[in-house]
Amino acid sequence: MGALQAQVLEQLLERGLAKKLPGLLAGSGARLLRASQLPSPGQTRGSLATGLSALDRLLAGGLPKGALVEIVGRRLSGRFSIGLAALAAITSSGQAAALVDLGDHLDPQAAERAGVDLTRLLRVRPRRVKEALASAEMLLAAGFPLVVADLGLAPRHARFVPDAAWLRLARSAQAQGAALLLLTPYRLSGIVAEAVLSAQGARPIWQGSGRAPRLLTGISSRLTLEKHLRVRPGLTAPLSLSVPEALRPLPLGEGWGEGETSITIHNSQFTIHNSS
Amino acid sequence: MRLSCLFVPLFPLAARLRSEPELKGEAVAILEGNGSTARVVAATRKARKKGIEPGMTLPQARSLFPKLVARGRDRESERSAQEALLEVADSFSPRVEDAGEGTVFLDLTGHAAFSSQLSALSQISSLSPGVREGWLSAAAIALRPAAERVQYEGLGAMRRPRPQVASREASGRQRVGVRGEQESIHNSQLTIHNSSQSPELSLAREIIAAAEKASLPARVGIAGSKLSARVAASLPDSPRVVPEGEEAAFLAPLPLSKLAPALEIAETLERWGIRSIGELAKLPEGEVASRLGGLGRQLQATARGIDPRPLEPRLASPCFSEGMELEWPLVSLEPFLFVGNAALERLMQRLESQALACTRLEIGLKLDPDGYDVRAIALPAPTRDVKTLLTLVRLELEARPPGAPVEGFTFVAQPDKPRRAQLSLFGPAALSPDKLATTIARLAALLGADRVGSPRTVDGHRPERFTEVSYAPPPPPELACPPRAGRGLLAIRVLRPPVELEVITFSYPLPLGEGRGEGETSITNHKSQITNSSRLVSLKSASPDATPPISGSVRVASGPWSLEEGWWLDDPRSGRSAGSLPEGRSLALRERECSEGSGLRSSPHPGEPRAGAPADPEQARATARDYWDVELSDGGLYRIYRDRATNAWFADGVYD
Repeated sequence: MGALQAQVLEQLLERGLAKKLPGLLAGSGARLLRASQLPSPGQTRGSLATGLSALDRLLAGGLPKGALVEIVGRRLSGRFSIGLAALAAITSSGQAAALVDLGDHLDPQAAERAGVDLTRLLRVRPRRVKEALASAEMLLAAGFPLVVADLGLAPRHARFVPDAAWLRLARSAQAQGAALLLLTPYRLSGIVAEAVLSAQGARPIWQGSGRAPRLLTGISSRLTLEKHLRVRPGLTAPLSLSVPEALRPLPLGEGWGEGETSITIHNSQFTIHNSS
Repeated sequence: MRLSCLFVPLFPLAARLRSEPELKGEAVAILEGNGSTARVVAATRKARKKGIEPGMTLPQARSLFPKLVARGRDRESERSAQEALLEVADSFSPRVEDAGEGTVFLDLTGHAAFSSQLSALSQISSLSPGVREGWLSAAAIALRPAAERVQYEGLGAMRRPRPQVASREASGRQRVGVRGEQESIHNSQLTIHNSSQSPELSLAREIIAAAEKASLPARVGIAGSKLSARVAASLPDSPRVVPEGEEAAFLAPLPLSKLAPALEIAETLERWGIRSIGELAKLPEGEVASRLGGLGRQLQATARGIDPRPLEPRLASPCFSEGMELEWPLVSLEPFLFVGNAALERLMQRLESQALACTRLEIGLKLDPDGYDVRAIALPAPTRDVKTLLTLVRLELEARPPGAPVEGFTFVAQPDKPRRAQLSLFGPAALSPDKLATTIARLAALLGADRVGSPRTVDGHRPERFTEVSYAPPPPPELACPPRAGRGLLAIRVLRPPVELEVITFSYPLPLGEGRGEGETSITNHKSQITNSSRLVSLKSASPDATPPISGSVRVASGPWSLEEGWWLDDPRSGRSAGSLPEGRSLALRERECSEGSGLRSSPHPGEPRAGAPADPEQARATARDYWDVELSDGGLYRIYRDRATNAWFADGVYD
């Protein structure tokens, strides 16, 4: 219905029928609204901040509750790190979270270093994609506020998953008001995802040059918003991730009490950075 | 003392219909015995209308009604039904006696259903007579729907509430009838009768409803002795309440057969013309004793309502069981799961009535022609979800078939308290413990119990080691707290199992006089040694089916980072033992670990002793590795290591 037709119909209802049936069209129920003006069920659900500023900025606050978010990236894209960051954020606030670890890739020590409260983390290790999706659906139905489904490096037969399965997962997340974060090497969830981000252009950052020994300090990548139902896609944000050994806090009483302190070596000179 | 008898008439039939509810409405007869000696012991009303009576043989019964459904007595079903009946009684009284064959006695003395009203009315009795009469006249109407029958006699003590069943109003009392209630005032007496809702009658109806919920058509009798309660329960108009002290009057009009006398005594009494219990009670006690002996004296005492037998409470069973004997042996799984589903539903219903859940399910299969197969399923968390349990049973039987037809089964549930949690008003929402337990059980059924849990770190240096514990999250904080700021750490995907590699290295030329003068390229595949002066050239997964496939030339390599663990233990692969090493050598190894791990990067996984970490057999293995961080030309960033003992190369992680 065009805008002019809607306006004419609205005037007809207000002037014509209102005279014949006074009181019928009184109140807000008598107004014609466009479908886009209707409140969306997902608008008031809020979001879960991941603690990664680049991701939270692109997703307008964090992972939307009651929706499926897919992060696509090849090796070294940082998607597994993003998943751990989301788990760390939700468990550090005292809530439970679940990880569907298809490739059995989780290193509990690394997760603990990333800030994940392992006592609040339920981890399932399916063998196949079908089991992973069924597990994710069960976990969503159990009421976990965040379910991270990592489909590993190269999930077999993932392309043969019917669209109905992804739709079912999205509906489960919507029904429970939970956030479902899907980490995939390539785009899988079809059209049901609320947001799709891709991590591209990743490159490792090495310290040292020439014949000096190298030291891996992290990677830099770029997140691109491929799709979002309420935000214009195409936005990008840089993503920097550091290896834990490059971040070493100083003992208390020796300077900085809080914040992360990093020590880097460049041209045989020590440089100490404090984020606070 | 007030006792209640819970009695299931035609118990073998009721137990069978409980196991096979689809037979309700059919003409069913339960037979006991084998072959031609089998006799009907119980039959449904439809069958009895056709003339089938207890004691008939099956051919006799079939001659009367050819479509008769005949079933043998199922001891397993009867045992389960008796347990269910006892659990119904347990929900009303802590003192329950198992009298067998569908009969249960409950001790109702001091039951809360009576005591609450007694305490309220005891306060009224302390009022002045005028106030009390005015209050009672109002209460006669106000308490109409409530379950009470109260009688006051003058200023004296209050009597126990009395039901209407055997009440007899004295003549000359003033009666005011209001919807079946009777108020009687006579000689400073006020009696409020509620003919439909006395406390004991209401309680009896609740017991009957609870038994019907357990699929058992029970009758209830309440009296002051076991015999009177049993006789009251056997009467067809149930529930029947015998007022206290009126047991003899209640029994008097009933036929003598209700006391089930011995055959000789019954014949003697019949010759005497004694037909009813009341006639026996009226006989002189000494004369009866001299002619009928001790048994006759005892019988007369019971006829007078004297039953000295005390209630013998049973001990609660530590587990719950349900089962049945099948009419014919089952050889396939689906029919078994069909009947097993019904048994599990009954079992979980019983657990629910006791506010318990199943933490371990034991399956007992009676095999044909002989043999017994017992297996147990440990559940990760207590649950009452039948669907989950049935899935676990299916998986268990599919994994290990019994190997013979099944002619009977028993499910035994080890009970445990279901998980409970106090929800917070201001904190983050907690998971529903019951729903979580069910989900974990379903996940365990889908993936295997060892693939569901909460990961934990293990004291040690090897990064692939971890352990998992059952998931039991701590309660959420009382107040919602914001999440901590992210550290932005780069994570590594651990490859389990590690991918074996073929590595091409380049060794720099040694100084003159120490051997080769030129640099040397070598493929180190379990053969050659590598030194600190070697440079990694390219990597390739040894197996073409390796996941993930790794292949490419090395752009940047960082390492080696040494890792040694368990160096003090025997290492059969290297052929050395810690005991054979001199003390100086051991110290040197330790110093080497520290020196090679120095700098900005320490040992990759410095483990700290953690309480509660389970013992790991892998921990007793000596490990010596050299780790590298390698960037390949395919864009991947890997963590690889060389096992010093075997000189084999592996990739055990991918940075992502």
